[in-house]
Amino acid sequence: MSSFEQIIASEEWQETDLSLLETLDHVLNRGLVIAGEITISVADIDLIFVGLNVLVSSVETAHEVLRKRQTE
Amino acid sequence: MKLYVYCLADDIEALDDPARGISGAPVRLLKTHDFSVLVSDLDADVVQVTGENALAHAAVVRSILDRTTPLPFRFGTLVTEQQLVNYLSSRKPALETKLAHVRGCVEMSVKIIQEPAAQESAPDENVNQGAGTSFLAQKRREILGGGQSAAEATRISTWLHDKISGLIRAEQVTLRPTEKLILAAAHLVERAKVKKYRENMAEACQSRPDLHFLLSGPWPPYSFANIELEFKTQFGVS
Repeated sequence: MSSFEQIIASEEWQETDLSLLETLDHVLNRGLVIAGEITISVADIDLIFVGLNVLVSSVETAHEVLRKRQTE
Repeated sequence: MKLYVYCLADDIEALDDPARGISGAPVRLLKTHDFSVLVSDLDADVVQVTGENALAHAAVVRSILDRTTPLPFRFGTLVTEQQLVNYLSSRKPALETKLAHVRGCVEMSVKIIQEPAAQESAPDENVNQGAGTSFLAQKRREILGGGQSAAEATRISTWLHDKISGLIRAEQVTLRPTEKLILAAAHLVERAKVKKYRENMAEACQSRPDLHFLLSGPWPPYSFANIELEFKTQFGVS
């Protein structure tokens, strides 16, 4: 199975970008945790926000672009 | 030398095509306590959060998704072998339960955003209100708007759940994780039901043109791997 066999949206999305962001969202925010033994370059709590914010801002940006296209 | 840990499974005997992982390090199989853990030997104390490293982590976990459903570790898990062995031995029953829960499944992800409704303008009479009255009126509008927003998110969540009822083994739904994001959901779907799941989601998308959907998958079950297990372990809740 490929990473993204299907991405559905109302309009055309930058699928490559969204695929990357979805991957980051999954990999950075979720998964088994060995409590107290994680060594990463930023604090764990920051990672949660980094991942989510990156994804959401991208979706919103894409949505904004689509909306402008529709009004043109 | 430490181990960078990608994921674990209980039914992998060997890697078909040994891959390269974080920093290009070879990936190997560590077998202990009836688990098979994909790891890389890494001479580092820190793993940089870069797109390249995150994608490398994802690629290694995905490399065995066709053969089994692994439990992914979170990006950046860098431990000594003894720490990993201690973790696995102390959590063996819970990890086996988790593996059984996700066996034969993949994770599908759904995010929905909605065009925000036009802001209602304040009544004309507010022009002559004092600062205190205006402040309270604004607060009232915010509270009422927030309540409506939450109610709408709940309605959409229920509607979405009905569309895929019977097709998912488990789900994790977060309502209104941000102002514009109505919900973020992860669905644990049996592989044999993925086709039908997609068909139903496509119908759902078409029936609500006012909503914007981001669907992705299949994923390893990142969202069904850890949180409850860690809380149970840390706080001793059975």
